[in-house]
Amino acid sequence: MKRLGLYVHFPFCANKCPYCDFYSVVGYKNIDDYIDALMLQCEDYAESVSPYAIDSVFFGGGTPSIVPEKYMLEFIDRIYDKFNVTLNAEFTMEVNPATVKLSQLKKYRKAGMNRLSFGVQSACDKELKALNRIHTYGEFEKSFEIARKAGFDNINIDLMYGIPEQSFESFCDTLKKIVALSPEHISLYNLKIEDSTPFGAIKDKLALPSEDVEYKMYEYAIEYLGSHGYNQYEISNFAKPGKECVHNLKYWTCAEYLGLGTGAHSYFRNTRFSFIKDIDSFIEAIKDLDDDTKLTDENYTINPEERAGEYIMLSLRLANGINTLEFERIFGMNFEKMFVDLLPAYLENGFMKKTSVGYAFTTKGMYVSNYILSSMLDFSSSIDENIANGTDK
Amino acid sequence: MSERQKRIRNFSIIAHIDHGKSTLADRLLENTETLTSREMEEQVLDNMDLEKERGITIKARAVNMKYKADDGEIYSLNLIDTPGHVDFNYEVSRSLNACDGALLVVDASQGIEAQTLGNAYLAIDANLEIVPVINKIDLPAADPDRVRTEIEDVVGIPAEDCPAISAKTGQNIVDVLKKVVSDIPAPKGNEDAPLKALIFDSYYDSYLGVVVYVRIFDGKLRAGQRIRMMNTGAEFDVVEVGYMAPFGLQKAEELSAGEVGYITASIKNVRDTRVGDTITTAQNGITEPLPGFKKALPMVYSGIYPADGAKYDDLRDALEKLQLNDASLLFEPETSAALGFGFRCGFLGLLHMEIIQERLEREFNLDLITTAPSVIYKITKSDGTVIYIDNPTNYPDVAEIAESAEPMVKANIITPVDYVGGIMDLCQDRRGIFHDMKYLDATRTELHYDLPLNEIVYDFFDALKSRSKGYASLDYELIGYKASKLVKLDILLNGEIVDALSFIVHEEKAYGRARKIAEKLKENIPRQLFEVPVQAAIGGKVIARETVKALRKDVLAKCYGGDITRKKKLLEKQKEGKKKMRKLGSVEVTPEAFMAVLKLDE
Repeated sequence: MKRLGLYVHFPFCANKCPYCDFYSVVGYKNIDDYIDALMLQCEDYAESVSPYAIDSVFFGGGTPSIVPEKYMLEFIDRIYDKFNVTLNAEFTMEVNPATVKLSQLKKYRKAGMNRLSFGVQSACDKELKALNRIHTYGEFEKSFEIARKAGFDNINIDLMYGIPEQSFESFCDTLKKIVALSPEHISLYNLKIEDSTPFGAIKDKLALPSEDVEYKMYEYAIEYLGSHGYNQYEISNFAKPGKECVHNLKYWTCAEYLGLGTGAHSYFRNTRFSFIKDIDSFIEAIKDLDDDTKLTDENYTINPEERAGEYIMLSLRLANGINTLEFERIFGMNFEKMFVDLLPAYLENGFMKKTSVGYAFTTKGMYVSNYILSSMLDFSSSIDENIANGTDK
Repeated sequence: MSERQKRIRNFSIIAHIDHGKSTLADRLLENTETLTSREMEEQVLDNMDLEKERGITIKARAVNMKYKADDGEIYSLNLIDTPGHVDFNYEVSRSLNACDGALLVVDASQGIEAQTLGNAYLAIDANLEIVPVINKIDLPAADPDRVRTEIEDVVGIPAEDCPAISAKTGQNIVDVLKKVVSDIPAPKGNEDAPLKALIFDSYYDSYLGVVVYVRIFDGKLRAGQRIRMMNTGAEFDVVEVGYMAPFGLQKAEELSAGEVGYITASIKNVRDTRVGDTITTAQNGITEPLPGFKKALPMVYSGIYPADGAKYDDLRDALEKLQLNDASLLFEPETSAALGFGFRCGFLGLLHMEIIQERLEREFNLDLITTAPSVIYKITKSDGTVIYIDNPTNYPDVAEIAESAEPMVKANIITPVDYVGGIMDLCQDRRGIFHDMKYLDATRTELHYDLPLNEIVYDFFDALKSRSKGYASLDYELIGYKASKLVKLDILLNGEIVDALSFIVHEEKAYGRARKIAEKLKENIPRQLFEVPVQAAIGGKVIARETVKALRKDVLAKCYGGDITRKKKLLEKQKEGKKKMRKLGSVEVTPEAFMAVLKLDE
């Protein structure tokens, strides 16, 4: 049976973080209407998803953990009811570090959820404040304890480097504290200041660490986490053996996933599509499923050449890199021949390395991977033709 | 003199930039009812956009006005506009030769400036009757009496009863018209003699071919005549003759001695209608052309390359089109290892160069990369042969050079006394040879220097303006070559010479300039995967060095909820950005880098 990942977007937040450019809304009143819309969407996809076994479910946001328990449990039931979720599927929910209750987590665990992801970002309260997070590190520690008590034995912690006010020393301290808690998985993201965010507007005034210090943090993290049993398996992800995130790996291996909810992205049946980024319009559009032009935002099929490009772009995010034999088998193209002008220079200068099955970025290369990938790949045709025109179903 | 000639006045207006030449021209058109104020667009005579923006006249223009004077007679006034910049001195002198008199406009608060003088001398050389006009008397700082004395003392012409006007408000404009009629002599010339006409301007029109502006000195011109351009030898059949109206051409039966007008003759190229050439009839014409003709020769050269190599043909088409209207623009194909295929272009001066570049970019939508302007160096090689070099790439090896020489100009700078010190420092720094300093009045002086043209083509004018708060003015003329210790400075990126960045500099200035250029380049080279050494060298010896550090971070940490499209867009955007970069060997450089190296004066 074919496998499928299921993503569900919960666009609610208690507070909008000034660096975040995800779609979410603060203080939304009709969460129940949105959950109803999601339930309808499950029904809508039940048939097309029926040939698939769902081996990962991911509740992302926003902050899924602020959805009232009653609605959440109902919705989880609906998923199991409409889709074929495998027995040992990975089932993750993103959690606000300060707002979890033991009773609630116990119920979720019982309903099938088995992995939590905490958006901790830093163990330094000064940095958390600079990020305008509503939790303190102490509050997170309590939540973490509660999660363990509720039976979650697979927990991820999101961390950031390149935070305003952050120093190399404070970053090292954060890593030390987090490792001491022994979570199964750690994601380490570089804070990117997006122009469309509040941080973007005051970019020049933020006390950001320099590029060189950021690189030092990244290099140190790889080494430190590695020596404490966390292997880097992707640019930003570290896990204890066997605890790599099933869901995220789908993105990087070009596997199929279906994203439900407003603003959610899918790669399903060779088509990339997303739903409109507006809760109310989304709820409205769900009521008239015969006309799904109102519901979809981007929507385009991937031609083989483009898929090959995506495959390269995504698999090179992985520490293991690209398997060139596998690549040739799927696409009938020879990776080495395609990049005969570029590969030798990348290898000689230590940006890439040869693996037993193909090529992978070195740490130095990963850190400038955009620069390199933009030299290697060309997505201009798809960007021009498909995305600019919106839908072309 | 015929009765008709008695009622013709041919004149031009000469002035320093900003002294109100164009505004005065507008008022004259209004007052003679050639144009109603409603028809009046600002500054009708300057009809290129660029001219309006810069407030200067690039090409000469002419217009015919009818004026009813106090004696009840109707006079035909031909106003011939002249370019107002030193780059176009030759055009100015030819335009003036088409006139019998000139209005010398002087700002009532600023007084005489370098170009006022330069143009006034040209007018005196052309034997014109000069009528001073003091403009801008509406300004609070206006001091017409002081300026009147200045005109008499400095230019040496009587100014006692000269009109004091405000072209802006229209005050006393009629005085100017009265003066034109009373003081400027009517044209002479024999209508029955063989044709003798001066070309003072021409432009290309896609329907009519070249439209030639002429002043008839003797004889008559009418449709059907076969004419000959005496210096180029080209012959044509006249299709149409007429007068210049403000918004177009007004056909006429004939043009005769003393008149100013246009002719068309199915001429394909302005190169056949050189400004300054003399027209006569192909049969039974005159044998001696009017004196003073010369081909306008470029003084400054630079390489112009399309930013996108695929636009090479477009660039050539654009240059050809511009050349239709501008015979002084020269270009020939050139290849650079760094920039690919482009053109070596010759210009009359820096302003001319900037104008051509801007027109190529605006009117033809081209992205250009322009190399540093170069003057023409005269090199005597060890074997005695003399070569002229306008491209640093072709500069011979030091061992082959017996003597190098560079073009010099005689510069005339007028400045308020307060800035004399700073300007003398500047001229000193630019290897100027001081001649003398004259006080024009208690507050203003005139400085004379010999300067290497090579020092002027970079940023001299900007530097002069910034050191004098914009008050100093400059006029210069080429005076010949002078032996000089010149060296070729090469720029190396990542160890490789970039031919397009090489330039010639005086030995003593090489070190300072090399350091500044290395710094400027460092700012204009984005961080890339590897460290990029930027070096400046003379004959293989590195004299300055900077380093562009390697790119450390360029990574998308997160794939937002499986939004792969976003990542693809990001990479695509980045790819677009890289396409704009110019690849020099293995190094990517912003297109601005080539110009940035020119602006070195802080």
